[in-house]
Amino acid sequence: MDFSWLSDPFYQEYLWQGFVNTLWLLLVSAVGGQLLAVGVALARLRGPRPLAWFAAAFSSVIRGTPLLVQLFFFYYGVGHLLEGVPGLRETWIWPLMRDPFFFGAVTFICSVGAYSGEVIRGAMLSVPPGELEAGRAFGLSGRQVLVRLWLPRAIQLCLPTLTGEMILLLKSIPLVSTIALMDLLQAANIIRDETFLVYEPLLLIAGIYLATTVVLTATLRLVEINFPGMRPRSRRWLPVR
Amino acid sequence: MTSSSRTFSQHTSLSSPNAPAVSAHNLTKRFGDLNVLKGVSLAVPEGSVTSIIGASGSGKSTLLRCMNLLERPDQGELAIADEAIRFTRNPQGDITGLDRGQLQRLRAKVAMVFQQFNLWPHLTVLGNVIEAPMRVKNRSRKEAVALGEHYLERVGMADRRDAYPAFLSGGQQQRVAIARALAMEPRILLFDEPTSALDPERVNEVLGVIRGLADEGRTMLMVTHEMHFAREVSDQLVYLDKGYIAAEGSPDEVFDDPCCQRFVAPAA
Repeated sequence: MDFSWLSDPFYQEYLWQGFVNTLWLLLVSAVGGQLLAVGVALARLRGPRPLAWFAAAFSSVIRGTPLLVQLFFFYYGVGHLLEGVPGLRETWIWPLMRDPFFFGAVTFICSVGAYSGEVIRGAMLSVPPGELEAGRAFGLSGRQVLVRLWLPRAIQLCLPTLTGEMILLLKSIPLVSTIALMDLLQAANIIRDETFLVYEPLLLIAGIYLATTVVLTATLRLVEINFPGMRPRSRRWLPVR
Repeated sequence: MTSSSRTFSQHTSLSSPNAPAVSAHNLTKRFGDLNVLKGVSLAVPEGSVTSIIGASGSGKSTLLRCMNLLERPDQGELAIADEAIRFTRNPQGDITGLDRGQLQRLRAKVAMVFQQFNLWPHLTVLGNVIEAPMRVKNRSRKEAVALGEHYLERVGMADRRDAYPAFLSGGQQQRVAIARALAMEPRILLFDEPTSALDPERVNEVLGVIRGLADEGRTMLMVTHEMHFAREVSDQLVYLDKGYIAAEGSPDEVFDDPCCQRFVAPAA
């Protein structure tokens, strides 16, 4: 095992850049994706017919095609089409359109939106109807029932599953190394190409992913434990047998 | 309590002393092929307690749920706390003559206590109690909290105001649910089998609270299987059988009525 390259400031810079980009992409995709997921779930449950149908089709297409294919589709396909739009080159949007980060984020937001959307939809359906009925009985409007009662309860119910989705998301992010985005894997690839060392850089980034996952899991578990109204047995760090 | 709390307990203010708080006329309700209510008329005088008894499936819960329009009657008329509604259906099957504003106003005046408590588990005890006064009656947080504390005190749950429902026993949850209903300062309290989901030791703590409310002269309409209790606290008893009112009157009259002898005999 040869880790002497770690002392090279250039490689340190690559790895740092890769780590920062990975985390940024995780954050943007997680936040954007969960917002989209709530929209997808609502559209399917409460939207007018065409919107519900569109949301269902969106879920099926995103969940039914490989993430890598989607990434290429957005980056090469949509990115290429946008180049043909007259006048777009002069707008402020253009630099964004050249940025692999943008296309990576769009792809992952769609992916999280589709997968978590189904999770949230299922959780909304499993909120006991009596709780929502109590809201209506006390005169809360449909919107108040949704925002104050239905969504918070659904999210409470599916938090552990959403945590799992976020971990899967973190480990999907290396796919962006294929569209020339400097993430952790791309940094490792560059180091491999220049030092001819295959395993060492991969081992290092595997360790970084593992550590990130552990921190992410612990953080989200903390959110779970402190979520208002969690049952006593769910408040422990380790599940009760 | 502070002097301001005195205003909260003035619940029997009447706009027109002789009009019943609830009057239903000829309500019908059908679920698919099943006729649940076949023309039920009922009047609950202001400040009195009316209990609806009857076998399972007799339509008593449906009747109660019509009072805050959790179920919409197919036909008939309902007058509750100054809101009068005549139920007819347009060709789409929607109720005509009931706009959203009227629905909200009506529901703000009629508070319900459910068999399964139906507290909101992600809100604290106090959070449960102040939610509707703040959002529906536009009380300030401060007012709502004062109201909430007052009524939690009333049901003996003030010391658990910051607990979440999952940490409470069934009886405690139901008492919080009663405080939640009281905090709306409703004209009428509806109870839908409030003790049916409780184990026997917990029943009395809830019945004690309800008895206290009856003694205060609150207007209450209650569906219950607690025959002794119904007989004891009610001013009026309604015996519902297969969607009709088979007997009504004072508890003694109804308990002595031949048609419901079979039903009430074990308790009487």
